[in-house]
Amino acid sequence: MLLRPPSAADRFRALLDDEWVIDAPLERLLYGRDGSIAEGEAGLVVLPETRQEVSACVRLAAELGMAVVPRGSGTGLAGGAVPLEGALVLALSRMTRIVEIDEDVPCAWVEPGVLNLDLSEAVRHLGLHYAPDPSSQAACSIGGNVSTNAGGPHCLKYGVTSEHVLGLEVVLAAGEVLALGGPAPDAPGYDLRGLVVGSEGTVGVVTEICVRLTPNPPAVYTALCDFASVRAAGEFVSAVIAEGVVPAAMEMMDEVMIAAVEQFVGAGLPLDAAAVVLVEADGSPADVARQAAVVQRVGRAHGARMIRVAADEEERALLWKARKSAFGAVARVAPNYYLHDCVVPRTRLVEVLEEIGRIAERHDLVIMNVFHAGDGNLHPLIAFDRRNADQVARVAAAGRDIIEACVAVGGVLSGEHGIGLEKRDYMPLTFNEDDLRAQACARDALDPAGRFNPHKVLPGAARCGEAVLEAGHLPEGTWL
Amino acid sequence: MSAGWNSSTRAPDAEDIASCVACGLCLPACPTFRLTGRETASPRGRIAAMRAVDEGRGEVDGSFRTMMDECLACRACETACPSGVPFGRMVEAARAQAEPGRAPRGRLGRRAGLVWLLPRRRAVMTAAWVAGLGAATRLDRALPRRHGTARPPVRLRELARPLPRAQGDQGPAAAVLAGCVVSVAYRPLLRATMRLVAASGHRARMTAPGGCCGALAMHHGHPEAAQTMARQRIAEVDGADVVVVNAAGCSAHMKTYGELLADDPRWAERAARVAARTRDVLELDLAAREGSVGAVAMHDACHHLNGQGIREQPRALLRAAGGEVRELADGGRCCGAAGLYGVTQPELSARLRRLKAEAIAATGAPVVAVANPGCAMQITAGLAEIGAAVRLAHPVELAG
Ligand SMILES: Cc1cc2nc3c(=O)[nH]c(=O)nc-3n(C[C@H](O)[C@H](O)[C@H](O)COP(=O)(O)OP(=O)(O)OC[C@H]3O[C@@H](n4cnc5c(N)ncnc54)[C@H](O)[C@@H]3O)c2cc1C
Ligand code: SF4
Ligand code: SF4
Repeated sequence: MLLRPPSAADRFRALLDDEWVIDAPLERLLYGRDGSIAEGEAGLVVLPETRQEVSACVRLAAELGMAVVPRGSGTGLAGGAVPLEGALVLALSRMTRIVEIDEDVPCAWVEPGVLNLDLSEAVRHLGLHYAPDPSSQAACSIGGNVSTNAGGPHCLKYGVTSEHVLGLEVVLAAGEVLALGGPAPDAPGYDLRGLVVGSEGTVGVVTEICVRLTPNPPAVYTALCDFASVRAAGEFVSAVIAEGVVPAAMEMMDEVMIAAVEQFVGAGLPLDAAAVVLVEADGSPADVARQAAVVQRVGRAHGARMIRVAADEEERALLWKARKSAFGAVARVAPNYYLHDCVVPRTRLVEVLEEIGRIAERHDLVIMNVFHAGDGNLHPLIAFDRRNADQVARVAAAGRDIIEACVAVGGVLSGEHGIGLEKRDYMPLTFNEDDLRAQACARDALDPAGRFNPHKVLPGAARCGEAVLEAGHLPEGTWL
Repeated sequence: MSAGWNSSTRAPDAEDIASCVACGLCLPACPTFRLTGRETASPRGRIAAMRAVDEGRGEVDGSFRTMMDECLACRACETACPSGVPFGRMVEAARAQAEPGRAPRGRLGRRAGLVWLLPRRRAVMTAAWVAGLGAATRLDRALPRRHGTARPPVRLRELARPLPRAQGDQGPAAAVLAGCVVSVAYRPLLRATMRLVAASGHRARMTAPGGCCGALAMHHGHPEAAQTMARQRIAEVDGADVVVVNAAGCSAHMKTYGELLADDPRWAERAARVAARTRDVLELDLAAREGSVGAVAMHDACHHLNGQGIREQPRALLRAAGGEVRELADGGRCCGAAGLYGVTQPELSARLRRLKAEAIAATGAPVVAVANPGCAMQITAGLAEIGAAVRLAHPVELAG
């Protein structure tokens, strides 16, 4: 749109083959969205294949005055990869090489477009895997995971993405290539790697990543516990952890969600349960046996109606498939969903869930819950139809109520999906002026011209030196 | 029907479009996305394009046409999609929309084949004889030919041998579809099917050779021609207890006859009945001949795996016949045959063909089980290309 001079596409075609510069209106439109409900418009889309091509594209964008929005698989749930005001979308989906695997560390150097699950499959024969496992792991890219600092069910025990990123290569606004960290422990100097992880494409383009690989656990126990009330399920989760057990994962799903998911997977989920908790423990056989015993005992004490233990790898895979298809299956209830990602102290979990139930009633909406219960990371999903304007207004109001309810008990805005566009204007709820200013300065240090993914993460046009506490308005043409 | 669609033919349904939440979980399952990394070659992207047209924000233009043409209609995305988005029927409708504005050159030839030839069963048989004569006299070598192009293996000697039109005299009445390609190019399969269906306790009766089910026309944007063929086949098979089909693409398609003719008051009921009675031959309870099939590589046709959920049956059948089933390490990726894909998208098709041939050769099995004529032609060409000596056979031929 405005920012795009007429010959931009031709200039990029001098850098990349024609097929990898997307200019046709209908084709650009497909890059206007990610997995969230935000929608913008791409001025132009490029798909470079090498770091040199990324660097050349970024340099040309600077020369043409175009903003650059990096994009992985576009499964993000906060609108991070949504281009605004005709920005250049730089899609990394062709950079899918696993460059090197070092079994000794163990770690792997990968290009950003490598899909999370593809990496785990590629190292399976070595008895290794990549531990952070967002539910979107079949589709999301490692570059996107790094940029959102993604979490996943197993991050309860293994930690989120930042704990698995050893080194990074980043292309900055002038096209310079920066190498940050590496397999060596404790690199001297500032930890800029930490700044880039979770930066949601606002400081540069990640072009290669050194990730830690994790040995596959020798034993695994997976059980689905079924409860007659959400309260009982929530208390069960806290009680297990209070026993000193940290399971690999503890995932909860409520009644409406169970019904939607069961239609897709046919895993035999209990359709009459108020909530189910999927618990997984892993480690040495003895350790797993001990944890399993705790889960069984605490489960009974909290009134679990049934504890279904996966008998083999096939059943385990089926139970996980049920959990991991949850967001997608929402369409069986309504065509759109608006999703929050707050984290609340585990001890307040039940209270917040009940409040969410009241919010749903108040706004006459269906809210479904499926979330990482072990670390209190809620995912209340408001199901709606965006063609219904009245409903859309209620969705927005309910969303705000949910966030306020979470923040009121000491929660934070996002556990793993990031802030992007959707949560941006809520930032002042949890950060004061000084916090926001410091963050803006850090961002400006790497991207002084504000070239990368402008309008994201920080409210208004927050820049170093100017603190903007007022929730800024989204640019024209953005649909939320 | 709304906004940007042409009202003279079918269009993707707005509710179907709305059922996609853009989560992207289908992307890794899509062969064309995997090969290109382009959103324009992904299921989510294709649906977004349909949505744009449906909402009047885009039109059926060259970009739209290319996106839909690049799709294999393999429906792997359907299997991966937690929302149950019925992608197969959406892309068929999108192609019907894309057809009219096409450049005349390629279009006229295709149209002649799909809309004129295929609904005329005698013409199909005549064409087969011409092709067979061409091959026998080597006249076909004079025709321009793209390297590696898949083509039906028509042989005069086979064409001259009559097919068994009735076999078995007990049990439920089974109408066995002769089909177009199968009855001209894969006649030994048709014989094996009749034999095995009869041996499994049916009164097997074959439909007239050359009669096409209409799948090809439907996949390539000609729903009206597909309806014509559906009516012809329904008239032939209605009344049978079960309609047996030995080609994956055809069984998948005939199961949609009910939807295809839902708006035709004279045919809707019969169409729904035939659709409900249609079974892929592999879905029958088959009495495999005890044998020693040995090592066999298993190729799954997309239209078995996706949409029909046929996966275990051929494996069980082969094992019962003494087969040692070897899986391909490619996760069941489409071979790139996909109807006329080899003609419309030669490059993508060639890449998929090669990947499939390599995956088959890597199993080390001397024979590969293939249950769809389109796949069979493509795989034959692919194996020849890489110089692998692997024989092809339908599971029914191996076990019957
Ligand atoms: C069904 C479903 C389930 C999900 N479950 C989880 C979950 O359990 N845990 C979780 O954390 N998330 C989850 N998500 C959200 C999403 O999958 C993650 O945020 C994921 O990390 C995004 O990866 P992506 O490749 O799709 O990135 P995109 O959506 O393309 O981009 C995300 C952000 O990263 C930036 N970015 C992408 N690649 C680069 C790069 N190479 N360099 C610089 N910036 C880049 C983009 O600009 C954007 O801001 C889920 C999403 C879906 C649809
Ligand atoms: S088709 Fe299904 S899997 Fe693919 S993006 Fe849409 S909802 Fe998700
Ligand atoms: S039908 Fe096959 S090629 Fe077409 S979008 Fe779906 S997975 Fe991709």
